[in-house]
Amino acid sequence: MSTAIDVRQLGFRYPDGTAALADISFGIEAGECVGLLGPNGSGKSTLLRHLNGILPERLPARDGSIRIEGKLVSDENVATVRRRTGLLFQDPDDQLFCGTVQEDVAFGPRQLGLEPAECERRTREALEQVGLTHLAQRPPHHLSAGEKRRACLAGVLACTPGILALDEPTSGLDPRGRRELMALLRGIPATKLIATHDLEFVVELCPRSLLLDGGRVIADGATENLLNDEALMLAHGLERPHILQHRHPHVGDLVFDAATHK
Amino acid sequence: MTKPAKNPAARWPAAVKVAGAIGLVLAITLTPAPRPAWFGVEAAVLCLVLIAGRVSPVVVLRRLAWLSPFVAGAALAAAWSPHGTDWRILALRSGLCLATVIILARTTTFGDLLGVLRQARVPALLITTLALMHRYLFVLRDESGRMGRARSARTFTRGRRFAWLAAASVVGQLFVRASARAERIYDAMCARGWTS
Repeated sequence: MSTAIDVRQLGFRYPDGTAALADISFGIEAGECVGLLGPNGSGKSTLLRHLNGILPERLPARDGSIRIEGKLVSDENVATVRRRTGLLFQDPDDQLFCGTVQEDVAFGPRQLGLEPAECERRTREALEQVGLTHLAQRPPHHLSAGEKRRACLAGVLACTPGILALDEPTSGLDPRGRRELMALLRGIPATKLIATHDLEFVVELCPRSLLLDGGRVIADGATENLLNDEALMLAHGLERPHILQHRHPHVGDLVFDAATHK
Repeated sequence: MTKPAKNPAARWPAAVKVAGAIGLVLAITLTPAPRPAWFGVEAAVLCLVLIAGRVSPVVVLRRLAWLSPFVAGAALAAAWSPHGTDWRILALRSGLCLATVIILARTTTFGDLLGVLRQARVPALLITTLALMHRYLFVLRDESGRMGRARSARTFTRGRRFAWLAAASVVGQLFVRASARAERIYDAMCARGWTS
């Protein structure tokens, strides 16, 4: 198994002097699905933006280094890095900037310089994957929150990234939208790093999690172990999720399987 | 631009509609003032388009009423200008031009209009800017609506001065939020390979 994301001693300050990340180090193997947990302002979104080369504004990072599939995130490699890392933004309205869903999904492939027929194929496949083919000609402002989220994901998937960095993918979704998103993400073989406050979503989807607070990695380990540590959760503005509180003490390996509903 | 209604004219080729509208606007603008009967012919053409395309005249008149202050402003300026055009001719001209543009907007989606501009080889950057502007007009409209409602929910006085001050602060906030959103949109574009 190869390393998909390798972050070493990463630090970052916003131009106004706010320290957002400090001494962040972790590695994620290809195909892993990892939860990124932490209270508001802990640096989750800032970290995700680093993985795509959106931050820092001047590459490479002054403090520390990031490697995506072995490539250093630098000025020379930023185009390749962006091609390999699909970033799903927190607010779908930031991400859906074209006039129709279809145009938006086709934006990435067009920027990759692909032939029109290939762009069209990728757009069609991505829309099919997220189940939005029937809304392809709709303007984004006529979509529901769940549909917007799926349209954003289609736009990212059309670029066929090896890594998905998802920022609060379940925010604003109703239970059905959340369930559909979970099933969709399960079916995508890419390496996934999911920043979220939806701890039950993480329990069901991510075997491993990173806990961030104050811009530092506080804990890195099996999701269940982390989330079952009540003192750790409370100390960092989180709480033990409901799904773990109702778990049978003698059943060690299964929490809840959304696919079988058992 | 409003959402075009589902009338038969919406199915007519966008390029033909745009070319027709530009031609009609040019004809209206170049119609000599001493021959006002020509305006009647141009108005008749617009009426024919309304009938053939089953565009609601009520909607067109309502939009025209919204835009009438601009027509009135131009006519007033002409009325006070010593050697200017007759204000009635100017009002007629502006009104007919506006009606043409309103009918075009009622029968053509913004996406189709951009498609025509693309075919006409208008610079891509300008088309992208127009597309972004159109996309985010609705987001800003929703945002200002939300801020307006939030303001009303905590407004306990009917004082006009206070209402104006609050509205001014909403406009200021909207500007700040729009600028922050513009940065996030640019980031989202870069994240999917935008390079220029």
